Amino acid sequence: MKNLIILVFCLAAVSFSANAQKFITKTGHIKFFSESPLEKIEAHNHQVNAALDAATGDFVFKVLEKSFEFDKALMQEHFNENYVESDKYPNALFSGKITNIKDVNIAKDGVYEVNVEGKLTLHGVTQPVKQKGSIEVKGGKLIGNSKFSILLSDYNIKIPGAVANNISKTVEITIEISLEKLM
Amino acid sequence: MKNWVKIALSLLALGFITGIVVAYFLYNKPHPDYEKIDAAYTLAAADLYKEFTADKNKAGAKYNGKVVAVTGKLTKVEVKDSLTTCVFVFEQGMFGDQGVRCTMLTAYRAEAGKLQPGADLKLKGYCTGFNDTDIILDKSSIVK
Repeated sequence: MKNLIILVFCLAAVSFSANAQKFITKTGHIKFFSESPLEKIEAHNHQVNAALDAATGDFVFKVLEKSFEFDKALMQEHFNENYVESDKYPNALFSGKITNIKDVNIAKDGVYEVNVEGKLTLHGVTQPVKQKGSIEVKGGKLIGNSKFSILLSDYNIKIPGAVANNISKTVEITIEISLEKLM
Repeated sequence: MKNWVKIALSLLALGFITGIVVAYFLYNKPHPDYEKIDAAYTLAAADLYKEFTADKNKAGAKYNGKVVAVTGKLTKVEVKDSLTTCVFVFEQGMFGDQGVRCTMLTAYRAEAGKLQPGADLKLKGYCTGFNDTDIILDKSSIVK
């Protein structure tokens, strides 16, 4: 019985320490934006799942494609049906690491530049991603920001010939996430 | 100019103008009014969660992109920035609480914000899928 109590105590302690450095959100924001001479396309998703282990730098975020909102309903339909094919590929996923997480002092408010490396899976295609970003430590929260561009053809997203000149071949992705400590 | 040429040109012009008008309205068509769309499925939030966690591909093919109504006891209401989310929690995982998250339409944010945990509810929303922790019902409304 005494051993069992010690085991339970140890497991609880390990679980607590594992969560002590884990920060999450379920309401992160991703914007994508593309501009061509004829058309500007912008969409927002405010329901991004993201988690960061501040001890190891492991970082992951997951996005439901159908949660992207466009100003125009027709653009939203085309995005889901013709481009990302959200019925076939419902999620986009980034899994990687903040390689210089040791430079971020989560006990001290401030803005820290970070380097992010990992793999982005979109439209069923996985590509390596290496970008810069920032983490602002503010009142116990970690506010992450990053902006980068992707080439649609890298993810096998085809632009129909009829509108090829109206749609940019690159898309700018902006990530804004406010991570809170997992209790 | 002969009469038949005039008629042909008039018809051509009419067809062209009609085409432009149709294209304009198609391009600017409004988003669906999810509050007014009948639910394709009505079930307990717990059962929806069970179906997705048992087989997310099968459940996704059934529910994703559909308006779904769920019933159950509310666990909590989250208010963050411009989002008000009614949450039914069924498990704990790597992202903390896991369950069904219903993001409310603007018209229902104030009413949802006053709901108390434990309230018996029926909510209806557009199912955008399962992100391995939660099922998301977007543009949700309270069904009375």
